[in-house]
Amino acid sequence: MFLLPGFSGVMVFYLLPFLEVVRRSFLKSGNSAFVGIENYRTVWGNGAFVLAVRNTFLYMAVGVPLLMGISLILSLLLRNLLLRRRLVSAMLLPMAVPAAVMVLTLQILIDRQGVINGVLTKVSEQMAALPAFAAIDYLNTEWALVVVVCSFLWKNTGYMVILWLAGLAALPKEVEEAAQVDGANRWQNWHYIIRPGLSGSFFTVGMLSVLQIFKSYREVWMVAGSYPQEHIYFLQHLLQNWYLKLEFDRMAALTVIMSLVLLIVCLLLQKRLE
Amino acid sequence: MRSRATVPAWVVRLYGRWRKKRTAWFATGICVAVAVLICAPLLMIPGGSLMDGAEMRQILSPILGDGRGFAAWHLIPVYPTIGHFYRLLIESPAFYQLFWNTVGMTAAILLGQLVVGLPSAWAFAAFRFRGRDFLFGLYVVLMLLPFQVMLLPQYIVLQKLHLYNHPAAVILPAVFSTFPVFIMYRGFTQIDAEILEAARLDGAGELQIFFRIGLPLGRMGIQAAMVLSFLEYWNLVEQPMAFLEEQATWPLSLYLPQITISQAGFAFAVAVMVLIPALFVFALGQDALEEGIAYIGVKG
Repeated sequence: MFLLPGFSGVMVFYLLPFLEVVRRSFLKSGNSAFVGIENYRTVWGNGAFVLAVRNTFLYMAVGVPLLMGISLILSLLLRNLLLRRRLVSAMLLPMAVPAAVMVLTLQILIDRQGVINGVLTKVSEQMAALPAFAAIDYLNTEWALVVVVCSFLWKNTGYMVILWLAGLAALPKEVEEAAQVDGANRWQNWHYIIRPGLSGSFFTVGMLSVLQIFKSYREVWMVAGSYPQEHIYFLQHLLQNWYLKLEFDRMAALTVIMSLVLLIVCLLLQKRLE
Repeated sequence: MRSRATVPAWVVRLYGRWRKKRTAWFATGICVAVAVLICAPLLMIPGGSLMDGAEMRQILSPILGDGRGFAAWHLIPVYPTIGHFYRLLIESPAFYQLFWNTVGMTAAILLGQLVVGLPSAWAFAAFRFRGRDFLFGLYVVLMLLPFQVMLLPQYIVLQKLHLYNHPAAVILPAVFSTFPVFIMYRGFTQIDAEILEAARLDGAGELQIFFRIGLPLGRMGIQAAMVLSFLEYWNLVEQPMAFLEEQATWPLSLYLPQITISQAGFAFAVAVMVLIPALFVFALGQDALEEGIAYIGVKG
């Protein structure tokens, strides 16, 4: 049987320990007494949890539509270009850049005394018409979320452009050509032909964007550490910090909650992937 | 319509051609601008790694401490030096240890994924068995979950197996990751089912089919999985941070953020060394990489 070695590993390292965590989420850590849903109640009433949930949703609500929109527009523009391959490669480059390297340059750019603020100040000094510019402390104000969203877009745009382009390539060319012969303009072409044809891709790109939001924690942590500005305190920070404090009972409950939510996203997506 | 009749036909034709070209130029312009914007931060790295310490301190002094004015950046250093590389490559034996940690870890993971993942992917692609759809669904869900959700489960099992704080704590779970299985599976499904049928009719054994047909024809998926895995595991941060306490066993990607900004030149030199292998693989495996990403989205 070809599957056996791989599957036994998946059982040992993924499935069985996950079930164990589900079991432990109903127990008190330490004496392993059964406490029912008390751990879940603790999580639910935890201030940090409420904050993290709100931030995570806000991040998603901003990041996902922006990523989808930008990458869709780019892929529509790129579709028939001669330079397409080169440009797609350039947009994909961030995938090859280790997070630590990216963070290094980011620190110099977005510090309160950093390069970006310097350039903006100069520009506003040069142009008298613009209002005076006050240096922004990006990482210690609400702007932190903007930084996080920008780095998310930077990292994932190329990835999503490829997915869109694959969806566009699957559209039958003849329909569009026929419509053009019949005098359809660009807007009609988009509205009646491309948009309905891409509905599957919409879904896939959307779900994968949501999952990438959760995977972007690495960059967030490296830029801002374990206790960042309160607007970018996400669920992953909470899990990581409870892990370091050995608060395993709450952590188990939170793991179960998060995986249930993600499971729904995954199941929706999965119908598409199979 | 009447006004157009007065314009000579060739003018209309030229105008139409120009309009078509104009859209293409416009689209190219936007896309080039975005691509440049995306790549621009990387331009800071080579300059930074060759910049003299004094120059670096001078242009970064607003960040480093005095809190007034703004940092500047020189894309090409005024006083270039290879001092950082000298210090890193000649005077820091610890660097080699971390570098080889990263190489060893990545190599072990990729090799393991091939040995374990290839047969699994083949099983899903070539056979219909009971529970196949359910199992495959499970694999897909597992590949999509972020690491933090698996943090506690994996910690528990690594403790039980006494692997905590051992490089295997990072390697083993990664070997059994289901993501490469999915990508390789997608590669295998591109093979025409009739070829397999024909081979079976001709009396080829299952192993023979796997090695003689599956591996050569599913090459693209295998390459794609390896490139994606390399870029992922070369860049490991959370797993070693959670499961490896001893700094001597860390990979480079976790060591780099430890260097403070006051040693930015040195940090940039490390960044160059981390970046080079990744860019090398990226350049070589580009087609496979793009193919692999497209596999994720398109229905097989």
